[in-house]
Amino acid sequence: MAEDKINMTDGGGQPSILGIRSLQKSFGSLSVLKDISLSVDRGNVVSIIGPSGSGKSTLLRCASFLEFAEGGDILYDGQYALRDGVYASKAELNRFRTRFGLVFQNFQLFPHYSVMKNISEAPILHGEDKEEVQERAFELIKKMGLDGKEYAYPYQLSGGQQQRVAIARALAMKPEILFFDEPTSALDPELTGEVLKVIRQLADEKMTMVVVTHEMPFAKAVSNRVIFMAGGVIVEQGDPLEVFDNPKEERTKQFLRVFERA
Amino acid sequence: MSLMTMIIKMSEGLGKTCAIFFLTVLFSLPLGMIVALLRMSKVKVVSAITRFVITVLRGTPLMLQLLAVTYGPYYLFGTTVARNKLIPVVIAFSINYAAYFAEIYRGGIESIPIGQYEAAEVLGYTKFQTFMRIILPQVVKRIMPSVTNEVVTLVKDTSMAFTVSYQEMFTIGKQIANSQTSFMPFLVAGVFYYLFNVIVDYVMGRAEKRLDYYK
Repeated sequence: MAEDKINMTDGGGQPSILGIRSLQKSFGSLSVLKDISLSVDRGNVVSIIGPSGSGKSTLLRCASFLEFAEGGDILYDGQYALRDGVYASKAELNRFRTRFGLVFQNFQLFPHYSVMKNISEAPILHGEDKEEVQERAFELIKKMGLDGKEYAYPYQLSGGQQQRVAIARALAMKPEILFFDEPTSALDPELTGEVLKVIRQLADEKMTMVVVTHEMPFAKAVSNRVIFMAGGVIVEQGDPLEVFDNPKEERTKQFLRVFERA
Repeated sequence: MSLMTMIIKMSEGLGKTCAIFFLTVLFSLPLGMIVALLRMSKVKVVSAITRFVITVLRGTPLMLQLLAVTYGPYYLFGTTVARNKLIPVVIAFSINYAAYFAEIYRGGIESIPIGQYEAAEVLGYTKFQTFMRIILPQVVKRIMPSVTNEVVTLVKDTSMAFTVSYQEMFTIGKQIANSQTSFMPFLVAGVFYYLFNVIVDYVMGRAEKRLDYYK
């Protein structure tokens, strides 16, 4: 591993937004995550790359409590959501949930809701002022380049537009950190650009993000740090230029070669 | 007996036919949802028992169930048979149809991608909010054609109430047919049921159309 000791604070001594230590997760007898440790600092973009089945998505799903790990720690802003394999109470997990957002590979918009309702319902249910939320939704829709689509239904939108609505929906909750689980993998190639552009824009605004992706040039250009996973472990992590142009581990080289050939 | 008197006499039973129909729809639709949720319970015993009950209700004749609910208490506990047969008839129909609706609901609920639940969960919807706001509306749209099918069948099944001599339209028709040795009442009954179902089809079609705003 490139970093054997994980620093759980950023440079200023602030706790990292997300800290993961020795995370372990298995499905039955199959060990999917073996001793995963990483931390994400405020304003940083971390990309996770690696072959399919390497545990990238499972890692994100554990961080967002869609899967439950058997061992290790998960900390948000220095507070334990998972401590030594034991989860915090349901109520506490619900509070942690407000800290992150998740964008799925298949968008998972609610098909019976308009764009507006997809984005605004959750914050309203959380007790926020309806008009305030709707105003924020309008702004987000505009920011995503979807003006005029406020009252369209998901089926009327292209995949790229749907994914941008999904990003707006996650942002409407004002998360401190945003997770992307292969956000462009379900899109036609000509539509990936518009989604990546939006993510890049968020990176410029110093939104903290963790992106599981197969878009190598994007990962290289946008990330502050790249994590290469294979077989349930972090094989290598570091500065994107280092990892991409000068990988140290044989497994990383092998993986990146496949992309060069493509 | 002229055709006109026949029609008038049988129409008098239409009110009771409608009573069976509407009350059964009213009770069996929600009851079916409860049964479906029990059937999908994570508690194995609950889902196993519910599953068994459903197989019994779907696997035995409705006619038998009508007889059992109407006369069963008399044979089992010696209680008097209800004077108003509408109550046992509606109970039998509601339970029987709830079993069918339960399986339709279950199919609908299980057809919703798990990602919808996950998206709602991450956005902080409670389990109840997720079901009522995200899952159920999509289920309703998906199961409409199957529900229409059952409702159309129910219209015709109301005629089964003749087995316990409830004076609905078909029972009256059957009595006239016997006393007049005429097949005419059955034809009249057929026309009645057909017209009833034309209306049902129209109403359900409208309901389906109202859900057409999304895909």
